[in-house]
Amino acid sequence: MSLTTTPTSAPPESPRSPVARFIDVAARGHRSIPVLVVLAIIWIVFYSQSPAYLSFRNITNLTLQIATTAILALGVVFVLLVGEIDLSSAVLSGVCAALAAGLAVNSGLPLGLAIVVAILAGMAITLIEALVITFGVPSLIVTLGGMVILQGLILVVLPPEFTVSVAGTPFAKIASTAIPAGTSYLLAAVATLAFAAYRLYQFRERLSTGTRTSPIAVLIPAVVAGVVLFGGVFILTRQRGLPMPVLIVAVMLLIAWYFTTQTRYGIHLYAVGGDREAAQRAGVPVRRMVLYSFLILGACAAVAGMIDASRQLGVSVTSGGGPLMLNAIAAAVVGGTSLFGGRGSIWSAILGALVIGSISNGVQLLGLTTEVQYFATGAVLIIAVAVDVVLTRGSLWPGRR
Amino acid sequence: MSLLELTKISKHFGGVRALHEIDMSVHPGEVVALIGDNGAGKSTLVKIVSGVESPDTGEIRVRGESARLVSPKAAADAGIRTVFQDLSLCDNLDAVQNLFLGQERYGPIWTGRRIRRHVMEEQAQRILESLSVKLRSLSTPVVALSGGQRQGIAICRALISDPAVVILDEPTAALGVSQRGEVLDLIHRLRDQGRGVVVISHDMKDVRQVADRVVVLRLGTKVAEFRRGEYTPSDLVSAMTGAHEEGPVQ
Ligand SMILES: Nc1ncnc2c1ncn2[C@@H]1O[C@H](COP(=O)(O)OP(=O)(O)O)[C@@H](O)[C@H]1O
Ligand SMILES: [Mg+2]
Repeated sequence: MSLTTTPTSAPPESPRSPVARFIDVAARGHRSIPVLVVLAIIWIVFYSQSPAYLSFRNITNLTLQIATTAILALGVVFVLLVGEIDLSSAVLSGVCAALAAGLAVNSGLPLGLAIVVAILAGMAITLIEALVITFGVPSLIVTLGGMVILQGLILVVLPPEFTVSVAGTPFAKIASTAIPAGTSYLLAAVATLAFAAYRLYQFRERLSTGTRTSPIAVLIPAVVAGVVLFGGVFILTRQRGLPMPVLIVAVMLLIAWYFTTQTRYGIHLYAVGGDREAAQRAGVPVRRMVLYSFLILGACAAVAGMIDASRQLGVSVTSGGGPLMLNAIAAAVVGGTSLFGGRGSIWSAILGALVIGSISNGVQLLGLTTEVQYFATGAVLIIAVAVDVVLTRGSLWPGRR
Repeated sequence: MSLLELTKISKHFGGVRALHEIDMSVHPGEVVALIGDNGAGKSTLVKIVSGVESPDTGEIRVRGESARLVSPKAAADAGIRTVFQDLSLCDNLDAVQNLFLGQERYGPIWTGRRIRRHVMEEQAQRILESLSVKLRSLSTPVVALSGGQRQGIAICRALISDPAVVILDEPTAALGVSQRGEVLDLIHRLRDQGRGVVVISHDMKDVRQVADRVVVLRLGTKVAEFRRGEYTPSDLVSAMTGAHEEGPVQ
């Protein structure tokens, strides 16, 4: 019994060591910087081997190649942020693509309607998964089982010959449409101005309550946005115009950025991933937040699947198969989203997809063997997860913080 | 008039008598320490007052009016806020986000419930200042803060709704010496703001420093109540253990 009036030795003040705290502070908020450095290294290495690597043409190809992975990874980020995982969305993207292509090409439904049906179907399927998960079954198991079931479902959705060709149909135009340079620059200008205006609005809001701010908080983000948007349009309109999939990715990122960083929804999303019990006690609807994340994943999977089908000019039993699922999860994690929930941002989807896409694109361009691509991608993934573990637990070794 | 008045509160868990006819009151600008050995019923009493558990029998009055604290929200609405021992902070969120978690200030639905960060930050600044909690930045995730700062944020979070009574469960248990001092100062400031404060503690030194009144529980019953300066440490210990003759146990 320790009922004494003498002071007992004080327990440690904080469970984390100063070093872990320092790494945390250094890495947080700027978690995009390590992945940007990695990306720069990859580009320099491949460029030094073949200058064609950074040609306008190849960069445009690269963006088309990664669109599917990036959109799927975006959905995966939402699921990872609430501390869950998903293994079924790649196959789901194939199912949704098969559904949309079947409806639009074989059944003659208007393309827009087919797209909406496919997105709703994707959301319905992830909703079922999410309901089982919030019921208490681990998401790893639910979505692993879901993946197998969906592999069966794609056979059901596909017509008897197990393929749908979309060549020459409006469906194929989703990926092949190019937005003319003039329109693209106009879009970039509107987006940059709108973003600058929003930042200015926030700046004036903060002045009105006397909270700390500075014009730099308007200027730097606006300049960065302008450089990225105009630079992107400049590079990507060199060929035929801005590829439609790139615009779709950009719009989805914009929406995701707004909701994850500017709204109550975003705070609750991170709260649930950070500490579920604390969030629950504070009145955050935890189960609903998990449901939302899976619904978003369902929609992302459907869009990713349709873009992929449109680019491949068809759907088959292998749609959504291959390395797509692994690439999407790897992209999210390489981009800086934690496997342990509550850490990361939507930018990790595009940055991680760029890293993985840049490796496979470079390997193909140099005519290297496929195993090099696997080795490089795997190594980058392992390093990224190691960094994630260090940032989350403070050390790679359990018990040491 | 007392802010909080408990009369003959009893609570059983199955066959276990967790609390038996507890009377207790908290007045404005007063710190009441609640002490007792493990299993004495401190946590159960706190849960009842914070709306987590309901008593089997007994009456709770808030500012003289009979209150039914059926949920944490009901307790909060009645002006009673509790800071639990684990603080319930989200490590990955910053101070402002934690302070307002679940009670954010946001814009209309067509903006997607856009966070009014400037409003929240201004209010956070005021509340943190009122308790002299010093943070280098309001947008640092709380994982990077010291134990004392985290305790400060958890207490400030309780103040967002301007409660009349603040209950602190073992607020210094996880802290080192200097941060312990910080938190004790915090408790004094809460008292000086005219709130009623209930502090659960194991630490007799803390109790002696902050408490205006000490309520001692043992095996679910209130065995003693002391006013500031009317007791010695050994009085507390013998009341807690029931060892009236032996004196302090070392
Ligand atoms: N949920 C519960 N179910 C059953 N018994 C409980 C429960 N909560 C508390 N008790 C019992 O009530 C008594 C008082 O416990 P508690 O209020 O936690 O004491 P303290 O916080 O002072 O250590 C103990 O005997 C404990 O075992
Ligand atoms: Mg207890």
